[in-house]
Amino acid sequence: MPRTIKVEIKRQSNPDAPVVIEKFEVPYRPNMNITSLLGEIACNPITADGKTTAPIAYDSNCLEEICGSCAMLINGKARMACSALVDKLQDGNPDEPITLAPLSKFPVVRDLAVDRSVLFQNLKSVKAWVPIDGTYDLGAAPRQFPQIQEERYPLSNCISCTICMEVCPQFNDSTNFVGAATIAQVKLFNMDPAGSVLKEERLRALAGDGGVQECGFAQNCVEACPKQLPLTEAISDVTREVIVQQVKDFFTR
Amino acid sequence: MAASPRIIVVGGGLAGLSSVIKIAEAGGTVDLFSIVPVKRSHSVCAQGGINAAKDLKGEGDSVLKHFDDTVYGGDFLANQTPVKNMTAQGPAIIDLLDRMGVPFNRTPEGLLDFRRFGGTLYQRTAFAGATTGQQLLYALDEQVRRHESEGKVTKYEGWEFLSAVLDDNGVCRGIVAMDLRTMETRTFPADAIIICTGGNGAIFGKSTNSVVCTGSAQSALYQQGAFYANGEFIQVHPTAIPGEDKLRLMSESARGEGGRVWVPRDRNDKRVARSIPEADRYYFLEERYPKYGNLVPRDIATREIFKIVYEDQMGIDGQPMVYLDLTHLPKERLHKLEGILEIYEKFVGDDPREVPMKIFPGVHYTMGGLWVDFNQQTNIPGVFAAGEADYSIHGANRLGANSLLSCIYGGFVAGPQALNYAKALKPATGDGGHAAELQRQKQKNNQLTSSTGTENPFKIWRELGDTMTKHATIVRYNAGLDEADAKLVELLHRYKNINLSDKSQWANTSFAFTRQLYNMLELGRVIVQGARLRDESRGAHYKPDFPNRNDEQFLKTTKAAFVDGAPSITYEDVDTSHIKPRPRVYSST
Amino acid sequence: MATVAPPVSSATSPQRGVQPLRAGQGNSFLWRKLHSLSGIVPIGAFLVEHIISNFETWNGPLAYAKQVVFLNSLPLVRVLEWAFIFIPLSFHALYGVFIAFRGRSNVNVYPWAGNWMYLSQRITGIIALVYIVQHVWRQRFSGVMLPEHPGAAFAKVQHELSNPWMLAIYVIAMIATTWHFSYGIWLFAAKWGITPGNRARKRFGYVCAVLGIALCLMGLASIYAVVYKYPNAPENVLPETPAALVQPATATSAVSLTNSRSAAPRTTQSQPRSTPQS
Ligand SMILES: Cc1cc2nc3c(=O)[nH]c(=O)nc-3n(C[C@H](O)[C@H](O)[C@H](O)COP(=O)(O)OP(=O)(O)OC[C@H]3O[C@@H](n4cnc5c(N)ncnc54)[C@H](O)[C@@H]3O)c2cc1C
Ligand code: HEM
Ligand code: HEM
Ligand code: SF4
Ligand code: F3S
Ligand code: FES
Repeated sequence: MPRTIKVEIKRQSNPDAPVVIEKFEVPYRPNMNITSLLGEIACNPITADGKTTAPIAYDSNCLEEICGSCAMLINGKARMACSALVDKLQDGNPDEPITLAPLSKFPVVRDLAVDRSVLFQNLKSVKAWVPIDGTYDLGAAPRQFPQIQEERYPLSNCISCTICMEVCPQFNDSTNFVGAATIAQVKLFNMDPAGSVLKEERLRALAGDGGVQECGFAQNCVEACPKQLPLTEAISDVTREVIVQQVKDFFTR
Repeated sequence: MAASPRIIVVGGGLAGLSSVIKIAEAGGTVDLFSIVPVKRSHSVCAQGGINAAKDLKGEGDSVLKHFDDTVYGGDFLANQTPVKNMTAQGPAIIDLLDRMGVPFNRTPEGLLDFRRFGGTLYQRTAFAGATTGQQLLYALDEQVRRHESEGKVTKYEGWEFLSAVLDDNGVCRGIVAMDLRTMETRTFPADAIIICTGGNGAIFGKSTNSVVCTGSAQSALYQQGAFYANGEFIQVHPTAIPGEDKLRLMSESARGEGGRVWVPRDRNDKRVARSIPEADRYYFLEERYPKYGNLVPRDIATREIFKIVYEDQMGIDGQPMVYLDLTHLPKERLHKLEGILEIYEKFVGDDPREVPMKIFPGVHYTMGGLWVDFNQQTNIPGVFAAGEADYSIHGANRLGANSLLSCIYGGFVAGPQALNYAKALKPATGDGGHAAELQRQKQKNNQLTSSTGTENPFKIWRELGDTMTKHATIVRYNAGLDEADAKLVELLHRYKNINLSDKSQWANTSFAFTRQLYNMLELGRVIVQGARLRDESRGAHYKPDFPNRNDEQFLKTTKAAFVDGAPSITYEDVDTSHIKPRPRVYSST
Repeated sequence: MATVAPPVSSATSPQRGVQPLRAGQGNSFLWRKLHSLSGIVPIGAFLVEHIISNFETWNGPLAYAKQVVFLNSLPLVRVLEWAFIFIPLSFHALYGVFIAFRGRSNVNVYPWAGNWMYLSQRITGIIALVYIVQHVWRQRFSGVMLPEHPGAAFAKVQHELSNPWMLAIYVIAMIATTWHFSYGIWLFAAKWGITPGNRARKRFGYVCAVLGIALCLMGLASIYAVVYKYPNAPENVLPETPAALVQPATATSAVSLTNSRSAAPRTTQSQPRSTPQS
């Protein structure tokens, strides 16, 4: 008999619908990843006990871990589905079912798709951009030494997957913590020669409720980040600057 | 028209975002539609870099040389005026991106660093690590977020463009779009729309493109009367990592550092790669091209790998794959390739330092697209297009790192042009066709949800991809293309008998996909028929039966119109006002 | 008929899930930083002082008594006690409980070192809280009043620890508080941007670990001293009358010592100096 992969998927047909677990058995092929497994189910949406069901809803786009769409809980852990290889997940244990579930800290849209727009709202509230005068030709930008570039580049690699937020014990609906990704972006833009003009505003924003103070330094973010952003370093640096800014503001504003 | 015209931009990749920025800056209001959150658009995938002749390396590079390289690389099929304009704006665009905070790599003195790319002799490619597209997209995304927070831009992320709303005179008055969450279909008024929906790799099943690159929007417009130009020109990259779900790019540098391409001499050889002795390995590129070996030009490598697999039937384990072997390389060399080796390791699970990589050419880029004039306007008044979705700039073949530039350039032209157009637009009579178009789209939806056939859309898509990949990619024969067209007609027929296993009206991804599938099928026919009729070889289009370029007959833009439910192809002269076409010779590269 | 639907704002329904940053609003930053700071000074400083003071038990009941006398001799000692110990400690403890209950620990899923330490900081905090409440009540606010009878300190603690349960509680609490404190210093440095770099954090981690272990061992040594080293300590090693035992400079405390219930038992007039072990 050809080998199959057992999958258990936590499903929810809409945000208010009850949660159900559906089991599937998908024909094994070498080098399968979770997104291709889900594609296989879409082609043949029949559960392990023979019931026809709807294809699984989930987000994906690039399929090469760069767009940040496909974060979900795979065997309970938050990671990117497109870079999660079945062979590695099952490592020597092919009968063990793979479990898939939506990220737990974000409102479920449907099945494995969740609404992560809060990150984009956060990026707005910290003004994560360089306020350029305009897009007309104003000549070359100021010089920037490679050392600065090397510090900024890794921060600029954040794919907004929200995994750092999902795994953070402090990111939840009672703290409403902003999460590591936004803090890292503040560092990125504060380091840009022109972007630093908004530095004070960003630092003040981050001292608001849910701001940088809510981090308990659990360091899960930096462990889990698929793009290996130096998140704890950013949190540390940014918090220092927020504190300095608050003290300054206390005496001068 | 009102002082502040309303523009809709569809697509939030580099092209879409750059047009949004231009319009917002000029005081217009923009509604930005995108299937995925714009920050997740396909443009993030671009790795290599972006071209501009800034000549910071003292090589005497110039805008004119960049212009010439682009036209020559495109085998003279590109209209030269827009290419000239684009290359002229290149340096300013790089400076702008730099000012926006893109972390471009730097020289020790703090200036922009440039590297060399295919198709040129100059170090002309600016880059930000190995994720240039991502960095550029983010920079534009951030600017758009800024305009959004100032109320100049409204984003409709998770909305899919279904069609344009055309009034009685065929003038565009808005769009119909579907909310992919609530599945609500609505019309949105606009004085002009800009289509920046990227490439159409999904028509080929697996490609290096992202999931939403279906070409669905372009196809919908083509079916509404827009010309689709040069559809047959599809770039295939020689080395991609075949995956279960997509093909991931494996940079040319692997071969540059000494990687060797081979297959077992015996097609039934079941041994693991490393245990196959040297004598039983067929280094087909080295044997067939003793002079260049593994470093033959891209298109030749692509074709040879394709032939080995499909004509000689010598793919590994009968699969469309060949080995790209780095295991013999010394440590220092491998170290230089660290980044791409990690990609392979991550997605295949094997260590390419120990096990030869398995690679195959992959559909990579759509040179063709919506026909546009030099102002990026399609033949439908009020519909503009930019980026990979239009056909301009790249002709028959795109040079590496030129696409990111063309997307931004296209957006920068389309935005202001759309605004100008909209300012001069006369108000619509009646409702401008909104009710009728909405009705038409709702009817399509109803047809799908009420259809009770037996066909699974995902299976039809697989068949589409297999057919297109087999007949319409690297090596094309007229018989095969005819076969492919017949298959497409069959699939279109079977499509009527489709069965949606999910008929719910909430975040129904398979419903949306099934709608796109129809458009893919129609666009597939444009590609196939364009290729069928072009009896020559030019750029990425290669017919062994017609191995030479034929300028007399085919120095022409292919224009497909949707007539009576099928492509009707006409030709249009190419603007060669600046550079006289000359033969494109590979052997010296 | 309006065929053209106006764009609806997506903000019509309240957003579910974690809410966005309330940029620049609220005071939680201040409270949070005060909590953080209070853990170091004054509470942490007190802890160090307390452990050092308690370590005097190693030198026997009399030495310990002298230490208690010395502490009680500090000017405005009652004010200091409230201002620098009880109030900040209550704030830190209560706000700490608030913080702890707002976290959603997930070490079961992500069993990484930092995450364990995050959880441990909360658990040790709670242990410290429970312990301190009973400890302060029993040692400071009930039984023999030590400020008035510093000589009874050793015996009071010894009585307490004669109960094996109590002994276990003290040992656990000792480990928990020093753990909480030393990781707390590390946290403080990390979160206030003093040690942003990974290597700096790692290095400082060793420093904190050494400090924590040292404090913990000192504390455990004190417990050992109380329980095993000086068994059957006298009830009060500092009978009230011989004020000569007290340094002249601390006359004030001598006064305060004498005006209280001086009927304190003077029974076991044993001589601490002559204890064989010292
Ligand atoms: C692996 C890879 C590497 C590459 N490397 C380079 C490189 O190094 N240099 C270079 O110059 N080029 C490179 N390219 C090419 C380049 O990345 C693309 O051509 C370019 O990003 C296309 O941008 P775009 O703005 O046209 O469209 P995209 O970025 O594809 O964006 C399309 C947008 O349209 C939206 N959309 C699509 N359909 C609809 C619809 N129906 N309704 C609403 N919205 C819709 C999508 O959501 C998306 O926002 C590479 C391409 C690939 C695949
Ligand atoms: C070796 C273990 C310990 C011993 C022998 C010990 C002993 C004592 C004694 C005798 C007192 C009363 C002092 C007085 O009333 O003047 C006291 C008070 C107190 N102890 Fe401890 N203690 C120990 C551990 C701890 C620990 C781990 C903490 C946690 C921080 C702690 C916190 C306190 C506090 C807050 C007070 C009240 C402070 C005051 O009265 O000024 N103790 N301790
Ligand atoms: C003697 C007792 C205590 C000492 C010395 C102490 C010290 C500290 C220190 C130094 C910190 C680090 C501050 C920072 O995070 O920057 C800290 C954090 C913390 N303390 Fe205490 N603490 C004590 C008691 C308590 C108690 C009783 C609780 C109650 C549960 C508590 C809960 C916490 C919590 C939850 C944190 C983590 C705060 C955060 O992550 O931001 N502590 N403590
Ligand atoms: S910081 Fe890392 S984990 Fe967090 S969103 Fe960005 S890429 Fe994802
Ligand atoms: S996991 Fe969370 S608590 Fe801080 S260090 Fe990372 S944000
Ligand atoms: S699909 Fe883009 S990150 Fe996985």
